[in-house]
Amino acid sequence: MKKCLIPVLCLLFMSACGGTATKEIDLNTDTAENADFSSADLARITDGMMNSISANGFYQMYAAEHAGQKPVMLLAKSLLNNTDEHINTRLILEKIRTRMINEGQAQFVDDQAFDMALDQLNLQASDLYDNAKAAKIGKFVGAKYVLRGSISNIRKRDGRENINFVNVTMDIFEVETLLIKWTDEVEFKRASTKGALR
Amino acid sequence: MKKAFLAAAVLLAVACATYTSRMELSRELYYDGRYDDARANLDKLVKNASGKNRYLLLLERGKVNLAAGAYDSAIVDLQEAERRFLEIEATVSIAEVFGEMLVNPTMGEYQSEPHEKIMISSYLLIAYWLKGDREGAFVERNRLVERLKQYTEGLSEKDRPALDVPFAHYLAALMYEIEGREDDARIEYDALEHLAPGAAPQAVNPRTRELIVFTEVDRAPVLVSTEIRGYLQKDGGSLVGFFNLPGNEAPQMFMLPGLDNLNLDKSGVLFTFAFPQCVKQPRMVHHCKLVVDGMEAGEMLPLDNLEGTICAAYEQSLGATLLKAAFRTYIKTVAQTKLSKKDDAGGVAFDVLGKMMSAFDRADTRAWQTLPAEIRVFRMECNPGSSEVFVRYYDDRGDVLGVSNGVVVSPGRSNKSIVFLI
Repeated sequence: MKKCLIPVLCLLFMSACGGTATKEIDLNTDTAENADFSSADLARITDGMMNSISANGFYQMYAAEHAGQKPVMLLAKSLLNNTDEHINTRLILEKIRTRMINEGQAQFVDDQAFDMALDQLNLQASDLYDNAKAAKIGKFVGAKYVLRGSISNIRKRDGRENINFVNVTMDIFEVETLLIKWTDEVEFKRASTKGALR
Repeated sequence: MKKAFLAAAVLLAVACATYTSRMELSRELYYDGRYDDARANLDKLVKNASGKNRYLLLLERGKVNLAAGAYDSAIVDLQEAERRFLEIEATVSIAEVFGEMLVNPTMGEYQSEPHEKIMISSYLLIAYWLKGDREGAFVERNRLVERLKQYTEGLSEKDRPALDVPFAHYLAALMYEIEGREDDARIEYDALEHLAPGAAPQAVNPRTRELIVFTEVDRAPVLVSTEIRGYLQKDGGSLVGFFNLPGNEAPQMFMLPGLDNLNLDKSGVLFTFAFPQCVKQPRMVHHCKLVVDGMEAGEMLPLDNLEGTICAAYEQSLGATLLKAAFRTYIKTVAQTKLSKKDDAGGVAFDVLGKMMSAFDRADTRAWQTLPAEIRVFRMECNPGSSEVFVRYYDDRGDVLGVSNGVVVSPGRSNKSIVFLI
């Protein structure tokens, strides 16, 4: 019995050591792995900015002035990346856009769908389509506001220590007047230290 | 038995060629401009490389990809290497330290030199810019400035001219200028002016349409393995070693104190160790001129003497290299003298051990070998139209050595057209 048990235990131990371990990470409790920009920061920035826009009263003022309508907005191509990391900053803007639309705060013009929409309109205006039911040209809605911003960092590396300060500043400006209707920033500073042994 | 051990050790020693000898073919193909062949050879080396050398080989392949215009591949290789070098920076592996001390210094993972890390960011910046990713190039500029701060700020005024990288300051300044951050550009150009007088432009003007051409000239020095012979003798409670280093007339001396219980059976012991000698490569190019649309526009200015930087970094690390060699020499001596006296069987075993350690002893010749000896620059105002540019290289007698590949420069989003010719 003992003779059989030992190899089986060895095999079990070896199988536990081999292969790839995969686990689901809860995004609500996600934390940064090191001082670099991480997925956990996306949630922090989105929450911070959304709370700030709501507290600012921008939507309420717009609705009061425009008979309860929602403002039509456009995303900037990306956040201006002034950091030393290659970050997909568009993701930050899109997360905020998603929240704004889902919470019924604003309408957005899809800046990346222009060419595709134009192709469709041209195609539907041709004889291939039933013109009575085709999408009409001349109904694009212009954005009144643009959501944009920048992300910057100041990093200090010293031996095994990596200290990173990150600032994300965003604003909504009015296209007609260039007046900034809302602006705020989210900042955080993180230090990570590598182990001396590898 | 003893003969079998020796034969195995000799075979192993032959099989484990130095990094420089393994890189020889790729290096020659690269400098010959046969980038596809160089890349194919490097692909094999990367595939067969151990974790210790893999990231250095990625640097070499990244550089070849950059020269071949395969910018995306260059970025992938250089970034993977950079990530690892930053990850292992200022850390140690106990197993590797033992391996380095007892066997040879190539047992440890390659840790890149500061100037190499600065050059990684410089080449990444160029790769992003040339592939048309302006934002990516600005991010690399930010990384480059951080590296310069990290690795050169602590240098003394004496060391800085030799160990700083003017090319990196120029690239950082140029990117700031393109972004319209004139003050930041001026700071970097001022730093450059101290390092390479005359290389910085007279004025910072983001609105002027200009052509800026960089070219790499000749080959960086390589490290080659050289056998050093020396003499070890007892002096009171210490062991004192004498040896001659290539290029140094005066004999070098090291002392290993606290060894009064070690009885050398002779008045002294001869020893050998493998030493990485820094060998400058022959300089062929005396000067070079930029040719724009068939006309020589002017002589390119010296910007960065990387050969000097590499040699200065080598000189700085010489102390640590010799300390490790001295320690291995001591271990070998102990194995071959003191322990061999215990008994006959043990004597034979330790004699074999000593001889095997000699056979395994290998100099660490690892370094980024596809770097140039020098980088030159030419900057001129240009018209908005397209131009064809190339560089003509001359020897010291004024004869043409050859020309670089030609590049057609078309007006882009920026007023500054950057060309990088190898």
